[in-house]
Amino acid sequence: MAPRLLAGRNVRSTPSSGVGRTAPPWTILAVFIAPAFLLYTVFLVWPLVQALFFSFFEWKGTARGAFVGFDNFGVLINRFPLNEQLPNAFWHNWIFFFGTMAIQVALGLLFAVLLQRKRRGKQFFRTTFVLPFMISALVVGYIWGLILNPTFGPFNAMLKSIGLENLARPWLGDPATAFPVVILVNVWYWLGFPMLLFAAGLAAIPEDYAEAARVDGASSWQVFKHVTFPLLTPVFGTVAILTFIRSFNVFGLVWALAGVDGGPAGATDVLGLLFYRTAFQGGVDAFGVASALAVVMFITIFGVSMIARWWFGRIEEGLA
Amino acid sequence: MKKLMQGRLVPLLMLFLAFALVASACGGSDEPADTTTTVADAGGGGDDGGDDGTTTTAAPADPVDPVTLTVWSWRTEDEDAYNEIFDVYEAANPGVTVEFVPFVNTDYNTILSTGLTGDGGPDVAQLRAYGGIQPLIEAGQLLPIDGELDLSNFTDNVLKAATGQSDGRVYGVPFAYQAFTAFYNVGIFDELGLSEPTTWDEWISTLDALDAAGYIPISAPAADNWMLAIIHDAIGAPRYGGQDFEAAILAGEKDFTDPDYVASIGLMQDLQQYLPDDVVGVSYEDSKTLFLTEQAGIFIGGSFEIGFWRDNGPDLDLGVFAVPAPPDSLAESSVVGWMDGSYGVNASSDSVDDAKKLVEWMGTVEFGQLFTTKIKQLSPIPGTTPDDPLLAEFGELFAASPVSYLSLVNFRYGDPSADSLFREGVVKMWLGDSTPEEIAADVQAGVFQWFTPGG
Repeated sequence: MAPRLLAGRNVRSTPSSGVGRTAPPWTILAVFIAPAFLLYTVFLVWPLVQALFFSFFEWKGTARGAFVGFDNFGVLINRFPLNEQLPNAFWHNWIFFFGTMAIQVALGLLFAVLLQRKRRGKQFFRTTFVLPFMISALVVGYIWGLILNPTFGPFNAMLKSIGLENLARPWLGDPATAFPVVILVNVWYWLGFPMLLFAAGLAAIPEDYAEAARVDGASSWQVFKHVTFPLLTPVFGTVAILTFIRSFNVFGLVWALAGVDGGPAGATDVLGLLFYRTAFQGGVDAFGVASALAVVMFITIFGVSMIARWWFGRIEEGLA
Repeated sequence: MKKLMQGRLVPLLMLFLAFALVASACGGSDEPADTTTTVADAGGGGDDGGDDGTTTTAAPADPVDPVTLTVWSWRTEDEDAYNEIFDVYEAANPGVTVEFVPFVNTDYNTILSTGLTGDGGPDVAQLRAYGGIQPLIEAGQLLPIDGELDLSNFTDNVLKAATGQSDGRVYGVPFAYQAFTAFYNVGIFDELGLSEPTTWDEWISTLDALDAAGYIPISAPAADNWMLAIIHDAIGAPRYGGQDFEAAILAGEKDFTDPDYVASIGLMQDLQQYLPDDVVGVSYEDSKTLFLTEQAGIFIGGSFEIGFWRDNGPDLDLGVFAVPAPPDSLAESSVVGWMDGSYGVNASSDSVDDAKKLVEWMGTVEFGQLFTTKIKQLSPIPGTTPDDPLLAEFGELFAASPVSYLSLVNFRYGDPSADSLFREGVVKMWLGDSTPEEIAADVQAGVFQWFTPGG
């Protein structure tokens, strides 16, 4: 089997063979493209178009009424307390993104670099760091909610047992600590992901570059700062964009930690929770208003992601 | 072979693949897509839905033809009890099988509104009360039953829970009402020589005595803040005038900034010292656990919690009392109550006549008695008596001095609801970021965007 495979590989890599040089006929291409294209269209593009369509109509329960133009978007801006909750939640999504990004990039990169140098136990630590994001966000939120419970939780009990009772507080019930705690739990939950991406990015950098720098007398820090770090730019871009999308779509974790109102007193409210409340706890016209909110969320996520992609692309070009 | 691939096989394969994908995709997306068209159509016919329901039904008249009626509900915990209740109906109605299908409470509204739009929905559905039922009525998904079924066991006040706000027609048979007042731990009260308070001064000295003895006087949650509007009514309704205030605000004679209403919110501020430490971090489950583990002496709660206490604290000796009226009250001490929901008929059911017959039975004393005995909740049907003495006491207290749960009964018909603004405000107040005046102003500003007095 192996010789045949090898032979196959040789054939493909030999320019004279001609196999794979001409583009396959459109029918073949279509067969391969069709499944993904159809799934994508039916499950992603169509619902998005539908949400946009819905947002322009008046709704009574699930019955569509008259065309109302941008009225539902007007409700988002004008109806109290939506007009206060929307900017509050929007702002929180940004803080969530920047907070998560700052901590998880620093720690993810640190762990990736440390693990790259480590020879023994690499697989064990890598698996350990990645383990949390294999658990459902709801479960993670629930478990941390129990740990941080002010009345029965082990965290405050531990603080009290080691004489730090002054630090014990209702971590998720105090507006000053609730959102930072949510961000930290999110970092704990998702840390393995940037770490894996950075590890892959580090592995892809040829050792020759670092060697050449060392020959020129560069210290380890200088090698990291001037060689490794710039070459990881594409990974930063990927981590930033994916973290942004996740941050603006976050729902389950915050819901499990802080409840559907994003308590206390809206301190942890995010767009996902606001959407849920608008859609499922709103009035008779909830469908239209929630669709309008979904459109606003999509435009934000899509727009910022595109700009970020373009920006990181330019940085990469500058490096090349 | 290659030629064949390019010539015929590939387009055929493609066609097959595309068909398979579209077919499978439609299986998944058909429901929402259907939602728009069928529901819109149903909505169009909603105004005269009653006639539709009776004329379009194709249910065979022959009673021996077997029919299966599906009943959807949000009470997963009551599945066995409901099956026993429906066994009684099945025995009296040969050929009818009632299938009880419960869904998770928190997802039920979404599941039901989707289920009612297409095929595969229930014949009979458990419906939320007051504002909660309106989206389904507006969408024409329910059959009006007034004038069709015998509803003589219910007063207008009870039927309000299942009445369409725009057309004034009744769409469901109410199944339960809830009452809300103070539970207390009889053991702790005995230990401290306390008795049920009958005046506000006694109430305060009871709380102080519990506090001095190291107990949490009142266990309450603010992390799950939906309880707060209820606690407010349980304590403050007499202060703002209870039913009189309700009538005045509905008529446009008063509003939420009324000084007596503001003063009633002030009672919530005074209450904070008697609640668990860091109450804004205490969840509903935590607050129940504090009471269950005898760390708290009083729990302001509802008749729907009796089952929980019985199951989880069988040895807990419980009593109930109505919180005495605070000073300067405009009304007597009262017990807050509201209809929990109703059972109605799916407008697009295939077995409308059988479904109506079942729903009509759910408004009889026979059903009401089975319901209150087996499910341990209060039935609104006169002549039914709960087995559980505590539940019976709840019923008696409510009957003696009933007051509507103001925000749920009247101010959940639009967005934002009064209680969503109120409870958010109370949390802020307990955090030191709001005042009773600000809370009242917020509720007023929010609710009066959609509420028209006298309308």
